[in-house]
Amino acid sequence: MRLLAILLAFLIGGATAIVLTWYASARGNGFGAVQIGAWTAWPKAGTADADPYARAAFARSGELPLELADGIAFIATSDDDGRALDGRCDIRIRGRLPQARLWTLTLYDGRGRLIDNAAERYGFTSAEVVWNPDRGVEIVLAPRARPGNWLPTGGRDRVTAVLRLYDAPVDVGSGAGDRSSMPTVTQERCP
Amino acid sequence: MRNFALPALIGLVLGVLAHLVSVLAMPRLALDDAFARLSQLGTPNAVSMVPDPTPLGATLPRMDPAFASAVCVYDLSGGALHIHVPAAPYYLSVSFYTRHGLAYYAINDRTAGRRATDLLLMTPAQRAALPEDEEITAADRLIIESPSSEGTVLIRSFVPERGERELVRARLAEARCGVTS
Repeated sequence: MRLLAILLAFLIGGATAIVLTWYASARGNGFGAVQIGAWTAWPKAGTADADPYARAAFARSGELPLELADGIAFIATSDDDGRALDGRCDIRIRGRLPQARLWTLTLYDGRGRLIDNAAERYGFTSAEVVWNPDRGVEIVLAPRARPGNWLPTGGRDRVTAVLRLYDAPVDVGSGAGDRSSMPTVTQERCP
Repeated sequence: MRNFALPALIGLVLGVLAHLVSVLAMPRLALDDAFARLSQLGTPNAVSMVPDPTPLGATLPRMDPAFASAVCVYDLSGGALHIHVPAAPYYLSVSFYTRHGLAYYAINDRTAGRRATDLLLMTPAQRAALPEDEEITAADRLIIESPSSEGTVLIRSFVPERGERELVRARLAEARCGVTS
């Protein structure tokens, strides 16, 4: 009977630890996430006030967060409807971007690596993208070439888009921005 | 049923504790963290160029391919560090991280006045030990306090288009860091 009780305590303990850790790692880079549409940023993770979960996440991945005074990274792993970004679809990123001195949009595979392609094109920057007349942009991430701003997805089933705004005004990361301040993310022509 | 209430409670408390301890210990236990990866590029207290990320691999995960980077992995136990940052033709930033990857300071070319910049990096104790007159001679150099004696300084510059990459990398290669004598 006693053995059973000890066993139960350890079982519940192990299960609790696993569930909590899973939940924490699924949250991404700690608390204080700013979510605008499909985009999520962790402004505090790039400061000396980063919480223990953010520190643990970065230590484990080996990534260095963008210092908030340098820039802020918005990550999209799903579209506006909450469907995971699938590199076999046409993913359309469209709209105006928050004010910043410059921005870059980069596409990664599910493990955070760049996606191999013959054009060696891994992203767009504000300096090279073709802007719409209304000062917005439209970028299509798709397996096959598209006219306009096209990023090859290599047909990967899971992709992540990261929009980095450099030397941006402080309010960009404060969560004050409404939905229209970030581009929409939609998926079409999925297999 | 009552017999199992106490073990269940103890199990819950143990689980929460194990979770918290593992999260707090992670920065110290992670073997393959950014500091370890960047340390492999060169010797401490010297500037090394960081290879541009490619689909085959990158020094750190999720690096921005639109930037060229150089790094100075530092150890302040031998004295304060002098960092020389060259002027770059495009956006340039200098970010400071502790041994365990905490971002504690950053400066960019606009805050630095768009010219070559000299910075002094030291621990709070080393700063407190600065003689008064040296504080004045050092006044034209920005002094940055590092919360830890080890860490990394990442110097990154924007590459607006592919053709500019070699130019930007050459400029970054002029960066220097070293212990002040």
